[in-house]
Amino acid sequence: MRDVTVMSYGEAIREALDDGLAQYPEMILIGEGVPDPKTIFATTQGLREKYGAERVLDMPLAENGMTGICIGAALAGMRPVLVHQRIDFALLSVDQLVNNAAKWRYMFDGQQQVPLVIRVIVGRGWGQGPQHSQSLQAMFAQVPGLKVVMPTTAGDAYHFMLDAIADNNPVLYIEHRWLHHIQGEVDKNSSRTALTGAALLRQGGDITLAAFSHMSIEALKAATVLAKHGVDAEVVDMRCLTPLDVDSVSRSISKTGLLLVADCAPETASMAHKLLSELFQSHGQHLRQPPRLIAYPNHPVPTSHFMANHYYPGAEEIAAAVLEMLGKQSLKQIVTMELQSDLAKDLPDRSFAGPF
Amino acid sequence: MTAMNSAGADLKRLYYQMLRIRRVEQAIAERYQQQEMRCPTHLCIGEEAIAVGVSAHLTTQDKVFSNHRGHGHYLAKGGDLRRLLAELYGFAEGCCGGRGGSMHLTDLAAGFIASTPIVGGTVPLAGGYAWAEQMKKSGAAQGCASVAGGRTPWMEEVERSRRPEPRTPEATNVVVIFFGDGCFEEGVMHETMNFAALKKLPLLFVCENNQYSVMTPLAGRQPERDIYKIAAAHGLQAVSGDGNNVEQVYALAQTAVANARTGQGPQFLELHTHRWPEHCGPNEDDELGYRSPGELADWKLRCPLLQTRQALLDKRLSDESELTAMEASLADEIEQAFQWALRGSRPSIDSMGLHLYA
Repeated sequence: MRDVTVMSYGEAIREALDDGLAQYPEMILIGEGVPDPKTIFATTQGLREKYGAERVLDMPLAENGMTGICIGAALAGMRPVLVHQRIDFALLSVDQLVNNAAKWRYMFDGQQQVPLVIRVIVGRGWGQGPQHSQSLQAMFAQVPGLKVVMPTTAGDAYHFMLDAIADNNPVLYIEHRWLHHIQGEVDKNSSRTALTGAALLRQGGDITLAAFSHMSIEALKAATVLAKHGVDAEVVDMRCLTPLDVDSVSRSISKTGLLLVADCAPETASMAHKLLSELFQSHGQHLRQPPRLIAYPNHPVPTSHFMANHYYPGAEEIAAAVLEMLGKQSLKQIVTMELQSDLAKDLPDRSFAGPF
Repeated sequence: MTAMNSAGADLKRLYYQMLRIRRVEQAIAERYQQQEMRCPTHLCIGEEAIAVGVSAHLTTQDKVFSNHRGHGHYLAKGGDLRRLLAELYGFAEGCCGGRGGSMHLTDLAAGFIASTPIVGGTVPLAGGYAWAEQMKKSGAAQGCASVAGGRTPWMEEVERSRRPEPRTPEATNVVVIFFGDGCFEEGVMHETMNFAALKKLPLLFVCENNQYSVMTPLAGRQPERDIYKIAAAHGLQAVSGDGNNVEQVYALAQTAVANARTGQGPQFLELHTHRWPEHCGPNEDDELGYRSPGELADWKLRCPLLQTRQALLDKRLSDESELTAMEASLADEIEQAFQWALRGSRPSIDSMGLHLYA
């Protein structure tokens, strides 16, 4: 039976953490700022009061050591969820994640396991700058033994979090800050995801848009406007990175024959290359023309909004590329105009007024 | 040490454990030349007293984490000798099924959780394990899942045969982390001490200060100050002692383990010792000249085994014939363990990719 509630992505994460703490007595929620007055953009609100200071707690500024401590607790049977307000901070813990968490089960011959969730947030806008806005998903997804997910919708935010908590492997749960306010349906009774598989966000027969995280939202925006002009795009959300669900994209391009991949990462650090490589090796015959890739420039994002506002490609660039691929350049001006918004380019929504 | 003075049984047992580690390491060194144990191997000859003197106070429910030089810690905690040797040969019967080698040991039934070779890598893990033990004790995390993933039938058999010692309900399981003076320079070391002190964890830090990181002396890596005082500044109860004197190690560890067990927070022992062989491999390397002239020879005069042997004879706690019988019994055990290991089977190539994910 469906039990659907509409809530924001951020609220869905809070709801999943709440349900996880209720369901798993061995779950711990820890991170810099978890119980502070701002509660990680309100995603941990009320949890300390409900589950106690022993299970919902702040931590010293020691990302590598605390990651190791969470791995040790996981070996002893706990289920820690470790939160970093920015994915950039998690770089301090790469030693523990790559050398220990990812390899532990393998190198000890399956005798031990690490049920650990690392929750990281990708920042954008309001001058987050070079060290508060990196997109490192491809780097982490290259490490055998880690599971990496990037939920896009509120429903996936809820289920992926709960499934990551239940999973007996280390899971990197990447959330884009600009998804937090977006509302969606959460059906608590829907079945477990196993943290694998892409999601079909929109059906269409003219072109396949395979997108990652926040770029899936931009792809949907582009598809909505394109549809008014007779272009029917299919949007596949690449929400799980290990493994990439190449088959779903392949099924889509066998129908459309055209592919555009949109990733929220600098082009050289993009998972799109992995997707394209796998598609070409096994399903290249479906493509009528070379695929297009839309990603960020190959340099860090600057802080000044005068520059940063021109760093991020979005729905306009996706729509323009689609029209070029379909030979409908004449529609570019009108479609671009319809996609333009009066919202400042460094804000995710009208309610946002900084600072992070 | 009343227990020590009353019968001498403890000192004899400590000597036996040290001698066992020494003879195992020597047997490995001897057979290493055959080129069949094909993995980097770090022998602990000269440092046996620390592992033995500390582990004498631990039950199978207490946990040990170790490092690249872990054979002694593994054996002192009760790790299975045969599976250690099979692991060195890369056989399926090894404690990691051949996935680890000398630098990755585990024996969960004995409470030896793991050794790994990234210096400092296991330090926070020991802290986290101690934190979990504390939470289980306080009831914060009732219903914790077991540590085990896919257990082999072999593991289950061993677990059934080893009954944990009865314990008072007030006591907490203690976690011990063994590391060296080089590790003390790592960031996670200090991050873990900070958290352990903050949470008053039942954790014992044992620093085996052998003065060298590979071939680089301590004086080239750290300013002149006592390591244990830095630990004390982190808020740990910290003392230093002679790591080659097993009676002293035993006495210091007895207090430290008792303190950790009864909720007095993390403990720190800095124990001075010296590694005799090369950093990695079966040989001595004094000819390379990185040690001061005569340094190794001086430390050999302070051999933990020689000192204890003399004490056993001086105090008439043992005699030559008993010590000779001890040697013979160990030689027999080690030979049989090698024979068992050498009958091991090659892990199947098909199994190479298994166990990455649960």
